[in-house]
Amino acid sequence: MSNELIQIETPFQFSEENQQEFERLIQRYPVKEAAMLPTLHLAQKQAGYISPAVMEHVAELLELPVMKVKDVVTFYPMFFEEPVGKYVIRVCYTLPCALRDCKLVLEHIKQKFDIDVASETDLAKGTTPDEKFTLLKSECLASCDVAPVVMVNDDLYKNLTPEKMDEILDGLE
Amino acid sequence: MAFIKLNDLEVEVEDGTNIIEAARQHGIEVPHYCYHPGLTRPANCRMCLVEPHVFFPPAGKVVPDRQLATGCTTTVRTAPPDRKLDGKYDFIVRTDSPRVKKAREDILEFLLVHHPLDCPVCDQAGECDLQDFSYNHGSGKSRYLEVKNVPPKKDLGPDVLLYSTRCIVCTRCIRFCDEVAGTGELGLIHRGSHDEIDIPRDHDENPLRLLDNKLAGNVVDICPVGALISKDFLFKSRPWFMKQVNSVCPGCSVGCNITVDYKEDGLYRIQPRFHEDINQHWMCDDGRLGYHYVNSEDRLQIPMKRVDGELVPTSWADALNLVVEKFSETDPDSIAIIGSAQATNEENYLLGKLAHEILKTESIGLFGREPDEEHKFPQFTIDADKNPNTRGARDMLKLGDDASLTEEVFRDGIANAKAVYLVNGAPERPLDETAKQALEAVDFLVVQDIFESDVAQLADVVLPGVTFAEKEGTFTNAKGWVQRIHRAVDPPGEARTDWEIIQQLANRLGGEMNYHFAGEIALDIAENVPDYQDATHQKIGDGGVKLNGGNN
Repeated sequence: MSNELIQIETPFQFSEENQQEFERLIQRYPVKEAAMLPTLHLAQKQAGYISPAVMEHVAELLELPVMKVKDVVTFYPMFFEEPVGKYVIRVCYTLPCALRDCKLVLEHIKQKFDIDVASETDLAKGTTPDEKFTLLKSECLASCDVAPVVMVNDDLYKNLTPEKMDEILDGLE
Repeated sequence: MAFIKLNDLEVEVEDGTNIIEAARQHGIEVPHYCYHPGLTRPANCRMCLVEPHVFFPPAGKVVPDRQLATGCTTTVRTAPPDRKLDGKYDFIVRTDSPRVKKAREDILEFLLVHHPLDCPVCDQAGECDLQDFSYNHGSGKSRYLEVKNVPPKKDLGPDVLLYSTRCIVCTRCIRFCDEVAGTGELGLIHRGSHDEIDIPRDHDENPLRLLDNKLAGNVVDICPVGALISKDFLFKSRPWFMKQVNSVCPGCSVGCNITVDYKEDGLYRIQPRFHEDINQHWMCDDGRLGYHYVNSEDRLQIPMKRVDGELVPTSWADALNLVVEKFSETDPDSIAIIGSAQATNEENYLLGKLAHEILKTESIGLFGREPDEEHKFPQFTIDADKNPNTRGARDMLKLGDDASLTEEVFRDGIANAKAVYLVNGAPERPLDETAKQALEAVDFLVVQDIFESDVAQLADVVLPGVTFAEKEGTFTNAKGWVQRIHRAVDPPGEARTDWEIIQQLANRLGGEMNYHFAGEIALDIAENVPDYQDATHQKIGDGGVKLNGGNN
């Protein structure tokens, strides 16, 4: 492990629109640190993932040491530290979905794209070479009554079968 | 004061004291990891659980509370008269009930779930809270049969390594960096049982920041286990093979209280020692890692004199006689004595006596390390004055507060001198060209030092003195605290304790000094130097004495 500090070549900046959104967000909180999660979500929406440049910028905006940002980013599975596909597929793998054959859906997606399931520390192995899809297992998505369920980015799909999954994925640009 | 029942003891403690401290004050140990008296209290390790007692109305009596409480965050206060327990106690707590003992055993089993049990190769073994508490309070075996997490060993900064496997995630180090240093380099990555302490890194593990603040070494001290390790001390010695003395850091005029770990062959480690008004629990890395010069092979070990332009070794008798001969034939007004802000009060006092009473010269100066930047942290300051005893040297030599350590003052001090006796102790200080010329113009220069410095290079006679770790004495810090240093190791070669050299020289010049140890000189200082009446070695002890009873 080297002790050489990395140099950030291209600093991250919010787009004008997102900067306005950030300034609106920050008003809602008593201390700047409290705006960490929405700010990170906003940054991830723009940059695709939380790169060191993003962490540095968010730390600067919230007037915190950069480690406090890293701390939060590694705690939550919703933040990515590596590039991910345009569509992040989260297959719920908790008990009710397991009983309703979520495994079939998962295996189907794996075969369809010839990818593995991504892990938090290795997102690349679950991402298609064209960077369109990333496949993740997920803890309970709180829709057990319509199991098995899958989330693709922010959309929830219910009562899935491999066939229905195909239809959904093929319909994505 | 709160009147509490602590196990079977009835004791009084100050309002606001927590149970750990209350128990400590009365000789009862409450084991703990995350609690540190110098930091905030997250109560996350759960090791300090104790059993408070409460009044239970249905039973009409005081009973153990339903839940155990953390001793670190449970504080005692004087209760109103109608809320006293058993009619007289403000608080009742047990630290030794079966329930507490069971809790400790269980917590330890959890803390050791991922621990590698590598004590035989761990630097902390012998001074490890995990080891000690497991021995005293643990069950001795684990029921965990699954695969252990093996997080990597990490390089955090210039002097700190993290053996993540040994970490129990007490977060003392994180809180230290946030609260005391204010630098915030450390944090927790991942979550749950995968929690690891780390500096910020990118996805390929390259660092964005290093743990390189000037107080970083303190995280090694406060780590209760063997996770944070000093590279300087790594694999150097088992703690039980070293001896330890209390001393004072000679690195700057803060005067941090320290312990010096040593063996016969030299110093091994310096750690801070608690002093409420000076350094609390901390010290800076400059002081902590600055001791290596003591062990150096290049120390001056024998007196030297200049023969045909070259410094050659000689005997003490010859060197001292030469000095006496030259000084005796020099007009007293042309002799200058330069004291040192690196030397102890006792040494500077004898130098002052030598100048005023024996040589009868008024030319007295002061030398020492050059000032550096001041470093301020939220709860700690590193002084700009890099000498441990500037204030004491001024007091002893009767120099005003304006006797600064600039080269101008130094040059003026020796401007008209034909013979100079300079006690240095700041050997790394380079001399500028004009100061060099001023010293070269001196007919006869005697330098007492620990290394062949720039100054010693110009000397006619060089006398080998000793470092702070080889002598007894006192330093007066910038705030007026007089504190003792203690001898740890023997001087190298023929080097002698500085006050002894000064005394021998003084007596050969016709003086009648008859001191046998540094403490005797301090008695004279107490008698003769204003404000130092309480500064005897006995009264100073390990806690120091503040000049003027603490009013300045």
